[in-house]
Amino acid sequence: MQAPVEQDTASFAASELRLPALRSALGAARRYVEEAAAAFGFDADSCFKLVFAVNEAVTNAIRHGAPDEQGSISLSVVADVDRLTFVVRDCGTFGVPVLDTDTRSEHGRGLALMASVMDEIQLHIKPGSTIVRLSKTRA
Amino acid sequence: MSSFYIGDDTTRDGVVVLVVGGEIDYEVSPQLRERMFAHIKANRGRLVLDLSWATFIDSTAIGVLTGAATKLHEADGEPLAVVCTHERVLQIFEITGLESMISLYSSCEEALSALAVAG
Repeated sequence: MQAPVEQDTASFAASELRLPALRSALGAARRYVEEAAAAFGFDADSCFKLVFAVNEAVTNAIRHGAPDEQGSISLSVVADVDRLTFVVRDCGTFGVPVLDTDTRSEHGRGLALMASVMDEIQLHIKPGSTIVRLSKTRA
Repeated sequence: MSSFYIGDDTTRDGVVVLVVGGEIDYEVSPQLRERMFAHIKANRGRLVLDLSWATFIDSTAIGVLTGAATKLHEADGEPLAVVCTHERVLQIFEITGLESMISLYSSCEEALSALAVAG
């Protein structure tokens, strides 16, 4: 089995939070993002946007993804100069979402919402692995 | 760790007020859905959703509000009345487009008098 290869530069500090793939873990995920974003020096507005976007990604992992053998999904943070990237990993196989632009629809707006408040979103998908990277640069 | 709560329905001036506070996310949005749709299904008249104490809302909860607003509009042609002053929650209403589907008020009293005037 191949381990996913990280492409990040060596100039970062990284930390990881393993979360049970349960709805009740979302609060802990938001606290983790809030603390990391504030510690990195983001203002309150950017902190909130990061919390909102990463919460959406973790929700997707719990809702549509699959946990690892321990029942966990992974949330980690990578700081690189002025840029902070949160990485959400699960062991599910990403299904292309049905894009629904009807504002009355109850579903299907997570990815578009994440993109609207982040500087960049990357999806790394292969069978049995879904990685969402959400980046924002400090002003 | 999440601080969500949902109050009992209270009736004020013939309008049902539902107070929902704290962080409204995927863990709790099914409860919000159940309560709002139970109200709509029972056709108990006008509804004010009081989010004065809400501090966070995610896309699943926005989905619930969108669905409820659509159903209410189909039923009586009226927009869903929502009380909210939290800057971040209002920001999510704006980003998601929910803002255009609801009537926003800054206090429950304001919402109730608006509904009383509208009859």
